[in-house]
Amino acid sequence: MAAASSSSYSVASSLSSLRFTSSRYLPSLTHYYLPSTPFPSLFSSPSPSRRSSYRPLTRRPTFSAKAASVDRKSVLIVNTNSGGHAVIGFYFAQQLLASGHDVTVLTVGDEGSDKMKKPPFTRFSELVSAGGKTLWGDPAKVAEIVSGVKFDVVFENNGKDLDTVKPVADWAKSSGVAQFLYISSAGIYKTSDEVPHVEGDLVKEDASHVGVEKYIAELSFSSFAIFRPQYMIGSGNNKDCEEWFFDRIVRDRPVPLPGSGMQLTNISHVRDLSSMLSLAVENSIAANGKIFNCVSDRAVTFNGLAKLCAKAADRELKLVHYDPKSVGVDARKAFPFRNMHFYAEPRAAKEVLGWTGTTNLPEDLKERFQEYVEIGRDKKDLKFDVDDKILESLKVEVTA
Amino acid sequence: MARLVAAQPKQASPWATPLAPSSLSEFHAAALDLSNIRKKRVWQKKGALRVAAGLSARKILIMGGTRFIGVFLSRILVKDGHQVTLFTRGKAPITQQLPGESDQDYADFKSKILHLKGDRKDFEFVKTSLAAEGFDVVYDINGREADEVKPILDALPKLEQFIYCSSAGVYLKSELLPHFETDAVDPKSRHKGKLETESSLDSRGVNWTSLRPVYIYGPLNYNPVEEWFFHRLKAGRPIPIPNSGIQITQLGHVKDLARAFVTVLGNPKASKQVYNISGSKYVTFDGLARACAKAAGFPEPEIVHYNPKEFDFGKKKAFPFRDQHFFASIEKAQRELGWTPEFGLVDGLADSYNLDFGRGTFRKAADFSTDDIILGKSFVLQT
Repeated sequence: MAAASSSSYSVASSLSSLRFTSSRYLPSLTHYYLPSTPFPSLFSSPSPSRRSSYRPLTRRPTFSAKAASVDRKSVLIVNTNSGGHAVIGFYFAQQLLASGHDVTVLTVGDEGSDKMKKPPFTRFSELVSAGGKTLWGDPAKVAEIVSGVKFDVVFENNGKDLDTVKPVADWAKSSGVAQFLYISSAGIYKTSDEVPHVEGDLVKEDASHVGVEKYIAELSFSSFAIFRPQYMIGSGNNKDCEEWFFDRIVRDRPVPLPGSGMQLTNISHVRDLSSMLSLAVENSIAANGKIFNCVSDRAVTFNGLAKLCAKAADRELKLVHYDPKSVGVDARKAFPFRNMHFYAEPRAAKEVLGWTGTTNLPEDLKERFQEYVEIGRDKKDLKFDVDDKILESLKVEVTA
Repeated sequence: MARLVAAQPKQASPWATPLAPSSLSEFHAAALDLSNIRKKRVWQKKGALRVAAGLSARKILIMGGTRFIGVFLSRILVKDGHQVTLFTRGKAPITQQLPGESDQDYADFKSKILHLKGDRKDFEFVKTSLAAEGFDVVYDINGREADEVKPILDALPKLEQFIYCSSAGVYLKSELLPHFETDAVDPKSRHKGKLETESSLDSRGVNWTSLRPVYIYGPLNYNPVEEWFFHRLKAGRPIPIPNSGIQITQLGHVKDLARAFVTVLGNPKASKQVYNISGSKYVTFDGLARACAKAAGFPEPEIVHYNPKEFDFGKKKAFPFRDQHFFASIEKAQRELGWTPEFGLVDGLADSYNLDFGRGTFRKAADFSTDDIILGKSFVLQT
């Protein structure tokens, strides 16, 4: 990897020394601080004796203390037009607008496309009523699309690879954007016997998000931060999460879980992600150069999630466990979550931003079920072909 | 750093006079790699910070102290200049030289540590002997029931702090993890005595602090946690693990726990607080087997999963961990006390192996009878 120029390194180290005066534990920052150079140290393997222990600061650095009044910032959100992350941009935009910031959301593609007929896009009028601007287009042409508007913050919630993100990042740098925030994925962490995934842990070097993270770090924005989310629930979600469980529970169908059902995952309410992003905007110095696991601070087992969904729906739960290989199904098609422990903790956000999580699955799922029924999804005629295949091979009767 | 000192109380208080920094360097003496040396340096730095808070020599009583946690805790306290008395029945030797401990350090410790011989279940004796001595601080390391605390508190009306070794076993089993200190507790758990003790302390109005460890490990462990794996690894046997093997548990090194106990001493932030104390990361059962092998230099083990319901082990325990997810967040202690564990899992297991099992010492002899039942090498005889 080519080393960055010595001047960018000194910017990094002078920022480091600022932090050191208020930090008790010097090593902790290197666990998740992304230096401008050299790159191999960013994500390289620690020495075999290196513990992945995490040394917290006991206090937030004073210069990151919240100002009494919020500095009005101009924020551009480049948002994906589909998938689990789509809803993040929507909540973040709402929260920024409520805080008095100027927000423009650039959604990939055409305003008239079929993809725009799904939430959260169906609720974009709410952003407009709150004073936000909504645009559509190709992010590669962002300069033309936003035609000369100056932004303080760019939130990239679209690209998974460098080809997609590079044009936006390059434009942001050249147009003087002060803070660049990127939604990556907790899926890039290397699997380990030890959990949870903690900021600074090894990532899969060939994951496309990793290339993007490194590129952004190299651009030397005044402030940049990486966010690695997992699964989300919340009104306006573009991708099914809890619905998968409700679909079965409300039709009195068994809920088939791969393996033991003890697999742990993070299911966060999207408002937690939004609040974390907002704190990063308000505390851009503290957030600079950091990786944040963008998740709630509790994990739940598949069994537990099924039970909580049944409780929220006030229905009985029929749980069935199966081995995908024996049954002959692809667990990825049969079940909405990774068939393994997939569990990250938001340690950096708590430590660096003073963030606290509010996800309360038992309560949040009740609210989700209410909406599930309100939109009439409980009455929808659905097919359960893969489920039926699983249940047949297990000789489980569907008595619905 | 200056900010930290200013945060501590300045008025005349027992904690006013600074002490020489303590050092745990002896225990990291069996350094096989640089990580131990790095730990040494960091510990000294931490010791210096704690001294800045201002702590004068106290007269300290440890209930227990001759078996595991207290062995390490008492050494730090003595090195820090406190007068430390161990209250035990005297069944185990009052002091023993630890592997890696220099003759000089051991002699020094041995010359300073005091012993009060008695049975803590003899409440009258506890009350009179403690009242006669008068102690500033009590560390209750081996207490199990709430009634054991009463005679201690009755004997010491001017007690400055009661520091209790509780257990994360008090938490009500949950599908939402990790356990935080604010979580629901289980009044019916096997550890309800610990819970009742915490409540009792709180209702007495004494300045108490309670630490809740998860699974403790390290040299001299009398609970066959890592030892259970080491026996099988040494014998070249497969490791039988119940059910899926993806159950998640958490180990905390005894030296880190001892440091946590010292960190709360005289710390006003710790007043009437509970803290989860364990390792920074959690591990699956399968992963723990692999970590033990890695730490001890054995090849990766063969793991055999079984359904415990299909077997009758009689009174014997086939596996040393509760068959469920069980882990707790330590962030409260990290955030509020500035304590953080120094040992990662593999380092910590290596420390335990190198100072204990690897030297040929262990508490429980190997017993593979339940393994053989599982592996089908023997069967339950019908009579």
